Amino acid sequence: MPVRVTESSMPSQVFGENPGNTTLPPCTLLSVGQAFSGTQNVSSLQKDEAWRVNVRILGCDLDHGYLCGTMEALNVPMADTPVVTFWEGEIVDTKNYTFFTNKWGATSDDDIKHWTKFPSFSRLRSQVEIDGGKSLDLSNYPYIFMRWKEQYFVNVGTDCGLTIAGFYYVCFSCSDGSISGFYYDPNSSPFQKLELKSINEGRSGFSFSSYELQ
Amino acid sequence: MPTSASASGPIQPQSSAETSSSLQSRPIPEDLIGRLSSSTVPYEIKVKALRDLKNQIIGNRTKKLSFLKLGAVPCVVSILSSATTSTAASRGNLDSIIIQSAAVIGSFACGFDAGVEAVLQAGALQILLRLISYPNEKVVDAGARSLKLIYQSKLAPKFDFFKDQNMEFLLSLLNCDNENVTGLGASVITHSCQTSMEQRALGDAGVITKLINLLGGSLIQRDSSLESLAAILKENSEVILKFVGPENGRALNVVIELTMDKYPRTRLLACMCLIVIRNALPSYLQDLQIKTKLVLILLELLDDPGQVGEEAPFALSSLIAGKEDLQKLAFQENVIDKLCNHLEKGSLQAKCLQGIFLALADLCSRLESCRTRLLSLKGLHFINHAMTHDSAEVRAAACICLRNISRSVENLSAGTFMKESVMNPLVQLLCDTSTSVQVAALGAISNIVVDFMVQKTTFIQCGGLKQLVELSKSMDSTLRMNAVWALRNLIFLVNDRCKEAILLELTQSTITSLICDPEAFVQEQALALVRNLVDGSTDCIKHVFAEDFSLLDTVIRQIQSASKAEVLIQGMYVLTNVASGNELHKEAVMNLLFPTPPGGPQSIIFKFLQSNDSRLRTSAAWTLVNLTLPSSSGAFSRVSKLRKVGIVSQLKNIINDPCLDVKLRARTALGQVMTFGDGSP
Repeated sequence: MPVRVTESSMPSQVFGENPGNTTLPPCTLLSVGQAFSGTQNVSSLQKDEAWRVNVRILGCDLDHGYLCGTMEALNVPMADTPVVTFWEGEIVDTKNYTFFTNKWGATSDDDIKHWTKFPSFSRLRSQVEIDGGKSLDLSNYPYIFMRWKEQYFVNVGTDCGLTIAGFYYVCFSCSDGSISGFYYDPNSSPFQKLELKSINEGRSGFSFSSYELQ
Repeated sequence: MPTSASASGPIQPQSSAETSSSLQSRPIPEDLIGRLSSSTVPYEIKVKALRDLKNQIIGNRTKKLSFLKLGAVPCVVSILSSATTSTAASRGNLDSIIIQSAAVIGSFACGFDAGVEAVLQAGALQILLRLISYPNEKVVDAGARSLKLIYQSKLAPKFDFFKDQNMEFLLSLLNCDNENVTGLGASVITHSCQTSMEQRALGDAGVITKLINLLGGSLIQRDSSLESLAAILKENSEVILKFVGPENGRALNVVIELTMDKYPRTRLLACMCLIVIRNALPSYLQDLQIKTKLVLILLELLDDPGQVGEEAPFALSSLIAGKEDLQKLAFQENVIDKLCNHLEKGSLQAKCLQGIFLALADLCSRLESCRTRLLSLKGLHFINHAMTHDSAEVRAAACICLRNISRSVENLSAGTFMKESVMNPLVQLLCDTSTSVQVAALGAISNIVVDFMVQKTTFIQCGGLKQLVELSKSMDSTLRMNAVWALRNLIFLVNDRCKEAILLELTQSTITSLICDPEAFVQEQALALVRNLVDGSTDCIKHVFAEDFSLLDTVIRQIQSASKAEVLIQGMYVLTNVASGNELHKEAVMNLLFPTPPGGPQSIIFKFLQSNDSRLRTSAAWTLVNLTLPSSSGAFSRVSKLRKVGIVSQLKNIINDPCLDVKLRARTALGQVMTFGDGSP
């Protein structure tokens, strides 16, 4: 059982003196090659429904607050095969990106509403409401907040009857690699919840691959 | 280019000289050489023969080569030498011979390395240098022009600024009223100034002040002064401060003014001078206006049909290389579109093509927006075409450009590059006769084979794997390193079948020797390759146990002996990945890391947990997390052993590590150890 990390030791580091100038330090569980598995709840008023989802991190550039990967939805009703999309992520590091989305049809109210659904956001909320979190130093915070936006379908055409118009508010736990997310698209059911856990392909422990671009 | 038919006229453009000479009937080369070699022909005939020779070779490499083969150069140098020492003829006649022979020597040296070699071999340099102190201005002029052409070649010997009276001689050249002599002085500096010590010595001797004054002189003086200032200032902030500091930066303002000169070459040289200053002292020339101006001037100079147009993309490349702000600015100014327009026009000289691909490579080195734009403008088509160009420099530049575009993970995921049309010519280049082309091709391949679309078989089918394995055994360490790097990326996230295929071609013994390579970077890439090999399905771990644990033994030996953190990190991740397997795997790692009974030498992992490198501490902590995973059946006995060797205190030391990643892994490992009790009986 992992040691419980007590959150009370964090605040002094969270509100550091050097905000907005540092990128987030690397977290091995969020590095290239890492895989996650779980579900996305797509329930509507008519019926309860959840799709199995696999995610793999393919690229990570902390200097630019950039992350990308693929997302595979497994039991999508209208698709014959699993549907794979490529997504790009904005890491909220307060240098490249703040908690305010400022695009994709999301207002700062929408942002706060979604971020607030993550318990780990509560201690940041008051500052985020003031400046989007620009003055926060998140470099030692054990959670990483991101926005993931699907860019294209990898294995099906755009006529597959599915949409990737929205984006995800994502919270990643550096301790255990678990991911929570909420899909935002004004035209889809609100607050579709994404829940993923770090997986290790039948191993008894954690394994890490790596590549390096020239 | 030298020179017209007149005895001492100014340097003429090549076209007019060619036109005038083509109207005359040309003497047979052998006859000309005969007349030049004869000691009996009257001096007028000799002067005419020299003039004829000069007119035949101007701007004509083929003629230069054929006269070279006939021994024209030593013959002319001998005429020059005799004329400088002779007392037999009248001074006027001798001077005419000197002027003509100096001009012929200059012509042979102009833009023709074989000519320069012959001129130097014949001992012309010292004789020409003596001409500078002649009383006859026309002789001085001819000598200076010839020397300048020789010093434009890389083959010319370096001028030693520290030797005897050389600095005084150089200053006397720069102080001279004759513009060709001052131009020569500046050319000598451009050619020979390379070290920071030379730069400082030239600055201390007052050369910079002289050159600044020459910026207000004639066109020749301005251009050669700008060129040598760039050589003196290059990568030397101390000397640059001496240039930009005095008189409120007057000299800098003069150079800025010259970027708007009416002559394209002056504009280019002024830009290059400013680029040198900005690259060494980024705090200068930060103004957006000047940065934009530089980009726009260089773009405009690309249209120049001559040498300036060929050099402009290199200057652009040096302006934007490694500087994201300037790359963004260039992107906003549509530089990619304009460079592609040039490529679209076709029929570009090799040098110009090389420069354009290098500039595009720099533009695409960091910004995804640039890569997307270039790809949308048929960038891959241009690169494909250039990969089969006759010039090795163009082929290498095209590969460098492809390498930088293929840093786009988005396009790697879309399989943009892993196509036969790209891979076939690229794999061919792995057998190129030029090592720099091979290295550049390996760079592009390293990125492209990361490919996430499970199309890696395309690469293997193109024969790429065989070539990479071959190059991983090269005697050239750069080739070896890049080949292993590509193999490491190729094996990233591949299925078991593909791993088997790679392993079959590469073999365990090659991997073993690469892990033990004398070059640390090869070791690092080889260990990263093994790390990827044992990732994925648990079944893959068996590869490091094959042949009597040979790979695993080599890994642990390297971990114990290497000193470079990057090598150790990759080695520890091999152990982490193996320790994420079954009980047998975990026990093997345990025995390798803790081979001795308690009381023996301390395990190497303790050293890594205390390392200054947080990445190494993290990798070591992960190994412990996997070894102590409570759900595995042998965890209790491993934890007991770990306790005995003092793991608890080691982990406690880092549970408040300044690095969050280390702290979290240490806490996980410690928590797992504590699951089995606190160790008390």
